[in-house]
Parts: sequence; structure tokens; C-alpha cells
Amino acid sequence: MFELNLLDLQKVLQNYGVLINFSGRFTQEIIEELGDAVKKYLENEATSQNDTYNVFAVFIEQTQNIKNYNARKCGSLTGERISNSDIVAIGKSDIGYFVTSGNIVENKDIDLLMSKLDEISKLDKIGLKKLYKEQLKKDILPGSTSAGLGLIDMARRARRPLEYSMVRIDENVSFFTLKVYI
Amino acid sequence: MESLYVEKTKSTPEIQFDIRNNKLRIEGQSYPENAFKFYEPIFAWLDEHLQEFEREVVLEIYFYMPYINTSSSKCIMMLLEKLDNAYREGRKIAVRWYYDIENETALECAEEFKEDLTLPFESSPMREER
Repeated sequence: MFELNLLDLQKVLQNYGVLINFSGRFTQEIIEELGDAVKKYLENEATSQNDTYNVFAVFIEQTQNIKNYNARKCGSLTGERISNSDIVAIGKSDIGYFVTSGNIVENKDIDLLMSKLDEISKLDKIGLKKLYKEQLKKDILPGSTSAGLGLIDMARRARRPLEYSMVRIDENVSFFTLKVYI
Repeated sequence: MESLYVEKTKSTPEIQFDIRNNKLRIEGQSYPENAFKFYEPIFAWLDEHLQEFEREVVLEIYFYMPYINTSSSKCIMMLLEKLDNAYREGRKIAVRWYYDIENETALECAEEFKEDLTLPFESSPMREER
């Protein structure tokens, strides 16, 4: 096994414009601390307050979505593998700021997630608002931790359509990536 | 009837439902691990006590929430719907939503809540000295 070269790793991240990143199991505490770091960083950059809020909001939705998915899969055969696969990066590109995250998902969950994303990416801002409000008024199932609004909210804040991909790892799981430009 | 007080944390707002002066106040960011669990006692308090306020006084509800994640938005909508139902049954209720002037998102969010409600709902920019 090669020695981990942190300088090389850092160069790679910098080449992609990554400002802040975390790889490892997400907890509420880690999400809160990283969220603060994101906000402080952007405030020092003299970014508009709206961009700062939107980057923060998209960061929270992405990481909490992943954390909720981990919690749902906790105790299943792939539970450990899933919750150790969390990764998030906030960066800056020519297009603007971006928030991107990834995690392992069970193959049986792919169709539902992809159909939601495909539905959302077909809509313009007016259509997204309509869908958001419909979802906001739906009754929540008892014991649920999700309002089903996160992806729609991210699309509404995004500068361009959500980018997403699914890479198959084996017969049980795939790696899902989502990227949102602010 | 007892007042309700919930202390602020990094990811949850301060909640003060003061029965003596008929004021309910929710102040701070909201993105807890489980929003439904966090807001459940607040819904329960409202369900239990909303009818006990004197009918003649105006129940004033203040919000100042610079950031609300989506699951908390759902909870705030549920809370506003409870208040709106009470208003439509004849109770006097007024909502005031404060926002930072540079925070367009917080204003948009308030305006979207307002669209679906019948109770008096005013959004005001936050004064500096507050």
C-alpha cells in the first residue's frame, strides 16, 4: 500500500477548487461545526449574504439527507458500509460556489431517488415553487425525519440544474454523487 | 396554564410562549437533527393551551428565524396552520415575521408561508439596535 501523501491530496483538492471538505461519518455535531466554518469562510470572502445563506442551506440539506439515509439503513447488512462512505466538499469554480456530496446507496433505492431527481430537473423555478408548496402541505408519516423537501429546495437555490450521478460498486450498492452550483 | 420556554442551541431556536402577556416568540436558526421531534412538544403545548387565552386579547406571535432547514419549514408550516385554524374560529391572532434586510431568503420564506394563510401576517426588516 502506498504511503498517504497529504500534500498530493491537498493539491488535488485545490485543483478542483475545494475550499472545505470532510470525508467520514456525518454526525449532527460535525454538520454544525462544518456549517459554521462554511459561513465564516464565506463571510471573510466578502461574498453576498444571499450566496452565503444559500451555500450554507445547500450544505445543510445535503449532509442531513445523507445522515438521515444512514440512520434509515443503520442495522442493515450494508449499514456500516453506507455510513462510512459520507463525503462532502464546498468549493469555488468559474461558475460560482458549489456544494457536492456523495455516499453509498443500496441499489434497490436507486430508482426512487433517480425518478425524484429526474422530475425535479425538468422543472423551471415556477414549477419548483409549485412542487415545493405541494410537498410542504403533504401530511408527514409518523416517525419520519424527512419532509421530502430537501432536493426541491436545493434546486430552487441552485444557479443551474442539479448535477447527479450513480456509479455501480457491486450487486448490492452504488455510489451516489450530487453537485449543486450556487 | 404554564408558559413554555425552550433554550436556544446552535441548531434550534429559543422558544418563549409567555401566557402573562399573550406573546409567543420563536427566535433563532432551526436545523436540528430531527425537526419533528424538536417541534412536537411545541405543537402539543399549542393544542393544549391555544383555547385558554382570553378571547378578547390579541395573541401576538413573533418569529425571527434567519435560517430554517426544510424539515423545520415543514414544522413551522404546521404550527402556522394551527394558529390559522384558531384565527378562523374567531381567536384574535397576529403574526409578525422579522428578517435581516440583507437576507432575501428569509423574506421569501416568510412570504411563501403567508400566501397560504388568512391570519394577519406582517414581515418587517429587523432594526439594527434590536
